[in-house]
Amino acid sequence: MKKTVSVNLGGFVFNIDEDAYKELQVYLSLIESHFAHDHGRQEIIDDIEARIAELFRAKTGTGKQVINIEDVQEVIKTLGKPEEMGEGESSEYEQEEPYTASYRTYRRIYRDPDNRIIGGVCSGLAAYWHFDPLILRIIFIVAFLGFGVGLFIYLILWIVIPEAKTVAQKLEMRGEPVTASNIGKAVRDEFNNFRKNMKF
Amino acid sequence: MNVENAKAQMRKGVLEYCILSILSKNDSYATDIINKLKESKMIVVEGTLYPLLTRQKNAGLLSYRWEESTQGPPRKYYSLTEKGHSFLQELDQSWQDLQEAVESIKKSA
Repeated sequence: MKKTVSVNLGGFVFNIDEDAYKELQVYLSLIESHFAHDHGRQEIIDDIEARIAELFRAKTGTGKQVINIEDVQEVIKTLGKPEEMGEGESSEYEQEEPYTASYRTYRRIYRDPDNRIIGGVCSGLAAYWHFDPLILRIIFIVAFLGFGVGLFIYLILWIVIPEAKTVAQKLEMRGEPVTASNIGKAVRDEFNNFRKNMKF
Repeated sequence: MNVENAKAQMRKGVLEYCILSILSKNDSYATDIINKLKESKMIVVEGTLYPLLTRQKNAGLLSYRWEESTQGPPRKYYSLTEKGHSFLQELDQSWQDLQEAVESIKKSA
């Protein structure tokens, strides 16, 4: 017996085995990081997801209901690994500044949805500067009770700081380089956390 | 210098040319283009196509529209823009020049 997860790909719902889901998630994250500096990133990913949905739909329907790991591996083989999809942004159409280092570490402030209590503002700032979010939370509470401005500042920060939604953004938040191996690791960590939480 | 790398470099420019040529005949959605390129063994993995399409679109060579499909979700149909047509004409010319150049060099060598 296997547990399945249901996913929405290109507007269609598929039931997919848990191990196959993990494989697919890692694959999509790798694609995302491969095109991380591409202007058309979201569009490329949407197109690829739509194609995956099309290939999955060809698999299901004939009495078969669940996408398994072999199906996912076959689809990955058809579409190819990210490094086989050609370079990221080509310089032919847009002149971009040359890469100074092969892996630039982008650091940005994001709200951290994984460790949040209210909006993830404190946890995000703490992840950026590597300190315990508890300190910041206490400061905010004191600023709110003592002077009444804490809430106001918090709300402004909540509005202006974007949430770290993708794995790449979460790595940027912590100042870790966005590389394929880091992404793969982060996705696996996230998946394991998700599994732990499901066991309640 | 490895041969796989040289082959990949060669194919890359030609692939963009092929996509434009396919679209100059008929407006197509990505899977049609993939099937044609696969038939003629121009691509090995499908994923190669999507970044190219998006870039050509962003460069103003292609545009797309959504069309309903009987077999599933709406499809993105790509077509050549005015700029794409003139781009293709130049590539046609340069392809011919290249072919002749390579031929004449091979003969004389």
